[in-house]
Amino acid sequence: MRIFIAVLIVVVALRVLTRRFPRWLSIGRYSPTRTNSSGRVLSPWERQLHTVVTFAKISVRRYFRDRTAIFFTVAFPLIFLFVFGSLNGGNNSVSFNVALIDQSRTQFAQNFDNQLRANKMFKIAQNVNDLNQAKDRMSKSEVDATIVLPPDFGAVKNGSNPSGQAVIYYDQNSAQAAQTVSSVMEGIFQGINAKYVQIKEPFSVVSKSTNTQGLSKMDYTVSGLLGFSIIGLGIFGPVNYFPEMKKQGVLRRLHITPLRVWQFFVSSVLSNAVIGLFSIAIMLAVATAVFNFHMVGNYFELAAFIIFGILTIFGIGLAIGGWAKNENQAAPLANIVTFPMMFLSGTFFPRYAMPEWLQHVSAYLPLTPIIDGIRMIATEGKHLTDIGPQLGMTLVWGIIIYAIAFRVFRWE
Amino acid sequence: MRYSDLGMADKILEVKNLEKSYGGKKVVKGISFDVKRGEVFGILGPNGAGKTTTLEMIETLRPIDGGRATINGVNVANDPQKIRYMIGVQTQSTAFMDKVKLTELLEQQAAAYGEKTDVKKLLDDVDLGDKTDSYIESLSGGQKQRFSIAAALVHQPKIFFMDEPTTGLDPQARRNLWDLVQKIRKDGTTIILTTHYMEEAEVLCDRVAIMDEGQIVAMDAPKNLVQKLLKKGFKKEQHVEQANLEDVFIDLTGKDLQD
Repeated sequence: MRIFIAVLIVVVALRVLTRRFPRWLSIGRYSPTRTNSSGRVLSPWERQLHTVVTFAKISVRRYFRDRTAIFFTVAFPLIFLFVFGSLNGGNNSVSFNVALIDQSRTQFAQNFDNQLRANKMFKIAQNVNDLNQAKDRMSKSEVDATIVLPPDFGAVKNGSNPSGQAVIYYDQNSAQAAQTVSSVMEGIFQGINAKYVQIKEPFSVVSKSTNTQGLSKMDYTVSGLLGFSIIGLGIFGPVNYFPEMKKQGVLRRLHITPLRVWQFFVSSVLSNAVIGLFSIAIMLAVATAVFNFHMVGNYFELAAFIIFGILTIFGIGLAIGGWAKNENQAAPLANIVTFPMMFLSGTFFPRYAMPEWLQHVSAYLPLTPIIDGIRMIATEGKHLTDIGPQLGMTLVWGIIIYAIAFRVFRWE
Repeated sequence: MRYSDLGMADKILEVKNLEKSYGGKKVVKGISFDVKRGEVFGILGPNGAGKTTTLEMIETLRPIDGGRATINGVNVANDPQKIRYMIGVQTQSTAFMDKVKLTELLEQQAAAYGEKTDVKKLLDDVDLGDKTDSYIESLSGGQKQRFSIAAALVHQPKIFFMDEPTTGLDPQARRNLWDLVQKIRKDGTTIILTTHYMEEAEVLCDRVAIMDEGQIVAMDAPKNLVQKLLKKGFKKEQHVEQANLEDVFIDLTGKDLQD
């Protein structure tokens, strides 16, 4: 009820604020009376609906015949999914790039060398034979640390057990990584030492995995990628084809007809929602099948929220594409508007990793509540009733965006 | 028939002192003319004469700076939405999206008027009955022009505007289009067209207005305009030939449409 009153207030406010608004709302004032096939007089609303549905239906059909459009809306986001999916490796294990320089010729050193290479914590860099090469690779940050086994490593001296000291080199940039590498090495040596020297240490620590399924990095990334997909569909799509339609005179032709701006907008939004759901369904299916994405929420709620998000973001594309006379006007403006959302709304980079002030600012970008909402439904299993703030902010943005889009739209 | 004799006829379009300026420069300088119901009216003139601007004002696409235009008694400036239901405008063939079937394009065009229409019959009327599942990009130049005429007529307009309908067409396609214009006229639609081809104006138009620099410099039936010129003592260099090169071309390549 409260939402209804809020919407009513906004609509009334807009009617007062803009004198153009009542014109968009007026329907069928001049439409001559028409009948349908059975002779019944069609109400103005039925005719409006027929107009909107026909336009939307034909746009969707056209989309499925357009390979370029399918590439940009389906294949392109999938490429991003694969890139980020492989970067995340599908698991949460940590590993370090290290160079290994084995100067010792002892059998022990040989075995130790093999043991390190088999260790999953280390990725041993290829083609590093001396310390200078290793330093060079470290300065390029290709290698986190260098492990040197000196010539006497593993030799048997004054006793029956082999001994030695490995040296770990690191540069200033990778001090932290080097420390972890040192700890890992210490752990390995402790295991070896225990074989030679039988001492029972009074204190020790053991870490055990709880083996429960938490949020994987991929689960987090997928929501961001869906947000990216919505931007691609909603902004870059119309920003490209609206100026094109103006150039070809498609919009001029429609302008000569009684078609109203709002009918054109609603039909565009409808077709975009259908195409968007299609593209996002494919992405979710691939993410689930290939990258172990875990959808814990309700699919219908997710779909409903995504449609709402597409509708809002598509308004930005409508505003820019509808305003621009040509591509040269549209492209720079689209980039200015899109880039902050692309980087700050949590598409590729999680917002929690940003400085606090930036988190506060980016919270108010239109895409942020959409990505947050998708994430809450998909990965946290929240319901639409739980994400009121996200719904509210998306709605406010939607109203602002469409008010602008209606005002700046030009047919030519 | 002289212009002043038209007062009694049934006028579907009345234009009075119509004006348009772009950036302080007047491109249409207060022109007036009337078009009778059912006639084919031509607007001729060199490029930049103001023909297209005049049509665009009447078609509700450009604001009218001065004077007025009324169609069927409805003032264009006051009631553009009502005007849009009464007029049909032939648009460039690029104005139709690719990858959409001809039938779908017509359904969409009709839907813009809130209507459903018999798209098959419309295509038959312009000799494209066998192209229902084709896309616009696969049509020839003449077929595209005919299709854009079908699209402009989906809602059975009272006045049909054609802006240079045969520019860029080969002679066969042009003649074919003339036949189509005459057919539309027979169905009772008033037609207003602009053209660069005087032969076209002579064949098609009941009356023409010749525009130059934003003004109408002459207006009458093509035959009367020629008579007037001859009365002034104009003499063309005489070649008494019963055919011209175009007739030769048509004779050799066939009168029927090749597209």
